[in-house]
Amino acid sequence: MRRRGARGIRLVSVSYVRPRRFAALALAIVVALVLLTVRLYDLQIVRGAYYRELAEQNRVLRLPVAAERGVILDRNRHVLVRNLPGFAVSVIPVDVPTAREADLAERLGRLVGRDPGLVRAAIQGQRLRNPFEPVRVSLKPIARETALLIAERSETYPGVRIDPESLREYVDGTLYAAIVGYIGPITEEELAARRETGYLPDDDIGRTGVERVYERFLRGTYGTREIERDAAQREIKTLALVPPRAGGNVVLTLDDRLQKLLAAELERGVAADQFSQAVGIAMDPQNGEILAMVSTPSYDNNLFVRGITAPELQRLLGDDRHPLVNKAVGEIYPPGSTFKLVTAVAALSEGVATRNTVVNVDRNFIEVGPYKFFDWQAHGRLDFIGGFANSSDIYFYTLAGGHPVTGQRGVGPEAIGRYGRMLGFGAPTGIDLPGEAAGIMPDPVWKEQLFDEPWTIGNTYQEAIGQGYVAVTPLQLLNAYAAIANGGTLYRPHVLREVLDERGTATVTKQTEVIRKLEVAPEDLQLLREASRRVVTIGHAAMPNARLPIAGKTGTAEFGPSAGKDSAGRNLLGFHNWFVSFVPKADDNAPTAQIAMVIFTFNSSKNLCELCLNPAIGISQRVYEAYLGAGTATP
Amino acid sequence: MIAGPLVLRPATRSFGDRPTARQLGRIDPFLLVASLLLIGYGLVMTYSSSAEAGADSGDPWAAVARAAVFAVVGLGLMAAVALLDYSWLGTLAPLLYLLTLGLLAVVLAMGETVFGGQRWVTIAGQKLQVSEFAKVLMIVVLARWFADRHDRVGSPLVLAGAAIVLAPAVLLVYRQPDLGTSLVFVAIFFGIAFMAGARLWQLTALVAAGAGAFPLVWSLLRDYQRARLVAFIDPYADPQGTGWNILQSLIAVGSGQATGKGLTAGTQSPLGYLPIADSDFVFAGLAEDLGFLGAILLFALYLVLLVAALRVAYRARDPFGSFLASGVVAMLGFQIVVNVGMSISLMPVTGIPLPFISRGGSSLLSICLALGVLQSVAMRREGS
Repeated sequence: MRRRGARGIRLVSVSYVRPRRFAALALAIVVALVLLTVRLYDLQIVRGAYYRELAEQNRVLRLPVAAERGVILDRNRHVLVRNLPGFAVSVIPVDVPTAREADLAERLGRLVGRDPGLVRAAIQGQRLRNPFEPVRVSLKPIARETALLIAERSETYPGVRIDPESLREYVDGTLYAAIVGYIGPITEEELAARRETGYLPDDDIGRTGVERVYERFLRGTYGTREIERDAAQREIKTLALVPPRAGGNVVLTLDDRLQKLLAAELERGVAADQFSQAVGIAMDPQNGEILAMVSTPSYDNNLFVRGITAPELQRLLGDDRHPLVNKAVGEIYPPGSTFKLVTAVAALSEGVATRNTVVNVDRNFIEVGPYKFFDWQAHGRLDFIGGFANSSDIYFYTLAGGHPVTGQRGVGPEAIGRYGRMLGFGAPTGIDLPGEAAGIMPDPVWKEQLFDEPWTIGNTYQEAIGQGYVAVTPLQLLNAYAAIANGGTLYRPHVLREVLDERGTATVTKQTEVIRKLEVAPEDLQLLREASRRVVTIGHAAMPNARLPIAGKTGTAEFGPSAGKDSAGRNLLGFHNWFVSFVPKADDNAPTAQIAMVIFTFNSSKNLCELCLNPAIGISQRVYEAYLGAGTATP
Repeated sequence: MIAGPLVLRPATRSFGDRPTARQLGRIDPFLLVASLLLIGYGLVMTYSSSAEAGADSGDPWAAVARAAVFAVVGLGLMAAVALLDYSWLGTLAPLLYLLTLGLLAVVLAMGETVFGGQRWVTIAGQKLQVSEFAKVLMIVVLARWFADRHDRVGSPLVLAGAAIVLAPAVLLVYRQPDLGTSLVFVAIFFGIAFMAGARLWQLTALVAAGAGAFPLVWSLLRDYQRARLVAFIDPYADPQGTGWNILQSLIAVGSGQATGKGLTAGTQSPLGYLPIADSDFVFAGLAEDLGFLGAILLFALYLVLLVAALRVAYRARDPFGSFLASGVVAMLGFQIVVNVGMSISLMPVTGIPLPFISRGGSSLLSICLALGVLQSVAMRREGS
């Protein structure tokens, strides 16, 4: 049982000493330590930088600091959109134990007034995107008391942050909703596209209107704040602060005074049941600045930033007057007699007519084969001014398609289409507002392509007076008349005037943009201005006691049903009125117009009185006189 | 319980005899130097971790002083035990066994009477002490058991008997509840049984039986113990719950990189991310402060210590000494692997201290006791 031998050498194995077991245990120890070392090598050397970063993220929380969104002002710096202070509740998913998530969502949902399921979905969604970044769970700013309640009991709200936030307030929301639009939470798709440019998952983004178009000016640049924090999320100190840069303040070309005058007139007409919907647009014809734009009925855009409820949204969507649509640019209508301008421009420019071209309207219809084409009365002999001022249909049938009895030649549908497009019809004006429609400027090729049918003389006659296929937006019509009024320049309409920084210095100034110069002789333009003036003085749009040299053109169009009621319970009449007009500086037909305006009334009542059939005329006169005052126009 | 004849010869000299010069010359130098260096390393980490813990935990130098007192006492204890002929331990083994069970039972009873109060922590500290010493005592008991039967250790009865001897201690510790220490008991058991020459198939069968009993064990586990197991398998299941500890430990270790952030410069512990940074997760703090190099140095010292201890076992003059040394190797090795493995997510979280490094006087004292036993065996080896 005794071991003997030289130093280090065993000669006899002893029963209780088992060399192989020793070797095995020694090997096990070595292998275990090697395994631990390999794992350490992986953690500390291979992935060390990654874990160093995580340790930094533990220690340092980088928080975005939202920039104040710019406000929106009218041309006189009257505030249209501003920000009200409040608090936002957000959650950093990595700090919320999954086991407590449902409970937290439940309690937060109650506090911020939102479905807990949606709160939880927001947290879970962010967990997948970037769990270290906060996601906002409050839809609208919460009151200070609620914020304090959460902040004071932070241990029961793991991962919850309270930050100051402002609520967008739309002063006179309904009045400006069509132009200003509103902001709303960014969608997943938008976020994916914009993440590189600094958008966060809980950001708001301009959803429509100016808020959307000029998002890039309004948003500003977010800052960052780096704080050191401990495991209990207590903030230890601020390590670094990159201050945010506030968004630019957007100054619009709109004039709040005119906007209110116009809206008041249109709403009065709706209230008096003269019509059920209306559009009014005023512009500076010398540069394309939109001075006022009213689309009624409208909606309160504050509903959208405060979180619109399902019934509220349902009511807006279910209203067949389309209150959510900016009808000034977003819907197209037959222009009726206002379109006689295009027929006239084509005929004058192509030499088919002059100011002395006479058409004898001795009957209130002309016949082509089996078809009769009517005028609204037998006017007798009319020269160009008489034809335009009295809005004779037969006069313009003749200019467009020729006269079946006298053999007078018409300019033809191709030319009308060409000049119509020159005047801006059939294409968006490119105004800086979303949702603009192109309208329809038909010609024989268009009809052939669309319907596979040849163009008829009837099509020409209908088009000559703005019926049939042609369809325009109120803005297109206004812009065409503005080009006549200013002496032949078609400007691109716009609502942006300039962008100001915090000190009120303009950082962006909207440049006047010319779509094209009209290829129309100056004397023809002058003739059209004269004729338009005569519409008011001797013709169709008589304005009693007019104190301004208003010139314009009326239009009526019949489309849609004239029976039944709309969703608001009003009679459907299918009878719509236009008055598109401008005011020169003096009553001299010079291209000096200071303002141009289009009024469109939808479902106008036929039977108010014989002489004031077209409510748009009176509205225009009242708005002009209230806005410009009688003295502005030199006699 | 301890049946069978005592084959150990009582010490040839009387209890208080001075060791011979030849014995003193046989003190294992590797074991001694590695022990001293590791105790020093532990003091350094005590300083670092209490400095990182901040002002709340008092002056770091006071903590070091306290730990140094334990170290000095521990070294004294080590020397005293080394001078004593270890065969006395064999003689006293039955008594020690009863003492161990008695102490564990008393602690368990006391722990239960004051359950749930503020003093729980204090009592828990008390418990921990007893179970730390119980580990060394169980090494003695099991070594004696196998030494007595080393010539028929192939019999399943011997192994089963050892398991029966062990079982009450394991259960008592587990009931405290201290899963970690009860696992250390099991590791000691397997370590000594393996080195004593138990048949591999029998050991395997025991392990298989244990695995087969897993569902039963699972049902006996407490909720937090199950949560730890689940978190080990998937730390991300609840990053702020139990898995959070593991993740933060990984972050601490990984962020140490090659050379560490420097002593007292770790961030995970002072900001409260690293739980129990001076005991269970002490290795994570070490790896964060001193990096891969610091960890490698620690492993190297452990390797020297364990191999030296194995050599002591190999060269022991009798089975009892050999098994004693084997038991110490099993205890230390298991604690090292499990504690480090837990910090780097190779093992589930169990509250097992890291030898020498984890703070706690009782842990250090019991290790010194074990090292004293080792030296006693080393000094009394035969041959060259």
